[in-house]
Amino acid sequence: MTDIAQGSPEIVTEQPAKFAMGKSMKRKEDPRFLQGKGNYIDDINLKGQLYMALVHSPYPHANIRGIDSSEAMKIPGAVAVVTSKELNAYNVGWLPTFHGLDKQMVLADGKVLYQYQEVAAVYAETREAAYDMIELVEVDYEPLEVVNNPFKAMKDDVLLRPDREAKTNHIYNWNVGDQGATDAALATSDHVVKQHVVFPRVHAAPLEPCGCIAEFDVMGRLQFYVTSQAPHVYRTALFLVLGIPEDKIRVISPDLGGGFGNKVPVYPGYVCAIAGALVLQRPVKWIETRTENLTSSFARDYHMDIEIGATKEGKLTALKVNTVADHGAFDAAADPSKYPAGMFGIVSGSYDFPVAYANLDAYFTNKQPGGVAYRCSFRVTEASYLIERAMDIVADELKMDPTELRRKNFIQKEQFPYKSPLNFTYDSGDYEHTMDVALEKIGYKQLLEEQAEKRARGELMGIGISTFTEVTGAGPSKHFDILGIKMFDGAEIRIHPSGSGIIRTGTKSQGQGHETTWAQIVAEELGLDPQNFLVEEGDTDTAPYGLGTYASRSTPVAGGALALAARKIREKARKIAAHVLEVSEHDLEWKDYAFHVMGAPGKTITMKEVAFAAYTNPGDNEPGLEATLYYDPPNMVFPHGTYVAVVDVDRDTGETKVRRFLAVDDAGTIINPMIVEGQIHGGLTEGFAIAFMQEIAYDEAGNNLATNFTDYLIPTSLESPHWETAATCTPSPHHPIGAKSVGESPNVGSPAAFVNAVIDALSPLGVRHIDMPLTREKVWAAIRTAENAVAAD
Amino acid sequence: MNEVNVSMKINGKTVTGSVESRVLLAHFIREQGGLTGTHVGCDSSSCGVCTVLLDGYTPVKSCTMYAVMADGHEITTVESLAVGGKLHPMQQAFWDQHGLQCGYCTPGMMLSSIALLKQNPNPTEHEIREGLSGNLCRCTGYNNIVKAVQQAAQVMNQPELAAAADD
Amino acid sequence: MKLEYNGSEQVPLSKPAVWEFINDPQKVASCLPDVQQVTVHDPKNFDALVSIGLGPVRGKFKFKITLEPQEGGNRMNVRISGGGFGSVVDLLAGADLKDNGDNTTTLDWSGAATMRGPIATVGGRVLDSQAQKLIAGTFANVKTRMAGQ
Repeated sequence: MTDIAQGSPEIVTEQPAKFAMGKSMKRKEDPRFLQGKGNYIDDINLKGQLYMALVHSPYPHANIRGIDSSEAMKIPGAVAVVTSKELNAYNVGWLPTFHGLDKQMVLADGKVLYQYQEVAAVYAETREAAYDMIELVEVDYEPLEVVNNPFKAMKDDVLLRPDREAKTNHIYNWNVGDQGATDAALATSDHVVKQHVVFPRVHAAPLEPCGCIAEFDVMGRLQFYVTSQAPHVYRTALFLVLGIPEDKIRVISPDLGGGFGNKVPVYPGYVCAIAGALVLQRPVKWIETRTENLTSSFARDYHMDIEIGATKEGKLTALKVNTVADHGAFDAAADPSKYPAGMFGIVSGSYDFPVAYANLDAYFTNKQPGGVAYRCSFRVTEASYLIERAMDIVADELKMDPTELRRKNFIQKEQFPYKSPLNFTYDSGDYEHTMDVALEKIGYKQLLEEQAEKRARGELMGIGISTFTEVTGAGPSKHFDILGIKMFDGAEIRIHPSGSGIIRTGTKSQGQGHETTWAQIVAEELGLDPQNFLVEEGDTDTAPYGLGTYASRSTPVAGGALALAARKIREKARKIAAHVLEVSEHDLEWKDYAFHVMGAPGKTITMKEVAFAAYTNPGDNEPGLEATLYYDPPNMVFPHGTYVAVVDVDRDTGETKVRRFLAVDDAGTIINPMIVEGQIHGGLTEGFAIAFMQEIAYDEAGNNLATNFTDYLIPTSLESPHWETAATCTPSPHHPIGAKSVGESPNVGSPAAFVNAVIDALSPLGVRHIDMPLTREKVWAAIRTAENAVAAD
Repeated sequence: MNEVNVSMKINGKTVTGSVESRVLLAHFIREQGGLTGTHVGCDSSSCGVCTVLLDGYTPVKSCTMYAVMADGHEITTVESLAVGGKLHPMQQAFWDQHGLQCGYCTPGMMLSSIALLKQNPNPTEHEIREGLSGNLCRCTGYNNIVKAVQQAAQVMNQPELAAAADD
Repeated sequence: MKLEYNGSEQVPLSKPAVWEFINDPQKVASCLPDVQQVTVHDPKNFDALVSIGLGPVRGKFKFKITLEPQEGGNRMNVRISGGGFGSVVDLLAGADLKDNGDNTTTLDWSGAATMRGPIATVGGRVLDSQAQKLIAGTFANVKTRMAGQ
């Protein structure tokens, strides 16, 4: 195994490389991408396909008095126009939302509820004809008053969803913790720190937009190619919406050009493509425009009020959070059904609060629906950002170093498993160690000295810390389901006579490198060459059922399934090995990646030899060597980390330069350090974008102001910082290989580090908080306001 | 809509088609040329996943150029980089340095990198970041792309390194 | 986004002549800058096709226009709504007529426009000045056309 081709990551880890695990194996999927031979949705074309395009509403809130498609149908190549009337006739006018608390329109039914809502679908022989058609579909709108924020919505002056039984814009209340004890503790605390913090509306914006092709084949079977992070969930959702049994539906998710949560929802365009394919009896292709992509879903939009109690000495006494959530026109958040606010209960973070209480109210507004994650496990980023931002404010009020306040209040490593006051049982962690590694590596003391010198000269230098804890890997079936389906995952491994094999899971990589890491997990368990495993995902005809790849659940759930399925194979292999070696299976020991006869040195058999025997000489054993296993994790996993940002803020322009950024992650056991490092780099860049430049903003009239990449900014290579990484290792005690997760940690943990650094830089001026994104305009304005306030004194 | 005859050399091979004058070069390459390594990502010239090389080493965003504008010109796409099953040093470097994840930006990113090295065979990290700032990547955070371009620059400046890698 | 405008024009015609002009859909429509085509449905309702160029947003907008003459002949309200390429504009404008007593008339006008869609977002940076130009241009044209009668 030493000849395995490896990359050269810079990440420093504490974990020794094993046979296949812990090695920076170069990615097996790369050759096709490098040669332009990836197979993305728009690369797939079916014979006789039609092109679909969607008519979108320019109004955020309006009644639809009529839709006239007669002019559109005159375009050469026009085939059909579909509106909610036609969909309702087939009973597919509305879709259930994933967590089952609401339903959403496929095409606007009588009224539109947000700008760019889908109003009609057009079908044509060519893409160009379809786009000509949408210009000519005449929709007669009667504009209605717009509710562009949840605070206006809660007044209930304008009822947005008369279709619902409850005549209010309030969707639900969710709370957790002990309100009475928390209020009592706050009332008697030496200090109570309060802050209003907004996590703005953002969008995952993968570079490949969403799309699909639907075809009913000659056997009447739906072949549905679609950009999906969760193909099996889609198949079940289609069964629920269309009433077609699952044997008549094949969902194929091809190579995905990024996902980050954006490819979790079932979008109206998908339903329209399927409806068109069914009625027109031709394949129908639909590929989103960038504007459609940016206006179809969103993440976050939480307006949070936090109160933290502390003693004079800096010991935390209580945590209280009250949140107003803006869910847009439909409650389409893709959260597990028992968790409407996702994992927001992780808001107590890495700290040992004696009591805590979190309360949340969600509202409808005239904005795009969604509430999917953006590289984050179900509302974990909102929670982590809030507590990490608030810890700095508490430290500032108590005049303590932010690392000291954290050190004083960390959950200690001997407290695990730790029951949090907000009802999670943290599996493991060593927060102080990870922070110490980070402070040492970044040179915290020297940075503080440098900062003191610069402050004396009036220069604005900031150091920002974030010591976050995530909760990922949904999840245990007693708590977690989507559309009623428990959040387990399946794995299937088949070993061929040569000792090579095929691995199938119900997850779906969007760039995470499962074709490599899944092979490494199985290879480690069986002592086989990871190069010789084909990994297949994304086809519901062949993959075992799984809930898909999002919320950092692939390695915690499917990764566990893979390790256990491999162990199941090993147990069967043991029987065959015993037969070949003519000993009892109890005399065999699995050691150093081979079966050894105990007490008989040299009498061994490798898995490769056993694989051959399984097909050539199985004895009385069942021939063949394969296993399928469904893994229901006993608990979530709780990765954590310490991130440090060092920034310089230009006092005259408000421009922030991130001079250094160090991420020290503890993701438990690492499968492939090179891939882990790459995931951290990517997540940090997304966190950087959220902290400094991204927002789906709306104006007073309900116009969406971020509908393309000139308004919704993606960091380029030029402004992205150079990232530094390291990893500590606290294996998960319950996961079969001790793995946690890492893909989302950098996006969860970094926004607070960036903002804390900028506020630290501005703190000599008296600036206490600025809501993201920290654009230079906002920072400049904060500096000027602070300077003017000083001048006025 | 009136159609026009368009003919161009893509990767040395003549591709001819009768297309509407508003057909984008990216769609011509993908549909008439059958080469799907050139992607479309943003419709507004921002992301660069559609980058191809025009008449040698000029990178252009093929989603903001009409096919008719490339009539009679030569286009280079990602499909031409590997020759006879051997990866171009840029492809090899992106693989070695984990310069890609989802792969969607990779073809355009590599073509821009090749054009950059043609102009500046020994770029600094800042020059690489500046040279690639028209190509967005959502996955890698650019660190490893910079490393890949540095590796490729080294190999391409010393052909004997490339030859040694063959052994 | 919502934009508000107002202005005043001195028209060298008597008030009844001005009133007659602004009650004629064909004449009013001809005052819209860059108007391509006018379809009159009845004395109060007509459609106009207008070329619009706002930054990267370019094309033809189709407007439905309703004239709402107020009793007494002192005020005319105009409702304009329409759009193109996924954008809409709703404009409510009004003009008060004042007889200056010297065979000239003062036209005090004001308007509020609500823009929605790409025109408000993509074109947002240049929208205000362009809309100002459009509305002011219309009333300036009213003056010029009438003066030329």
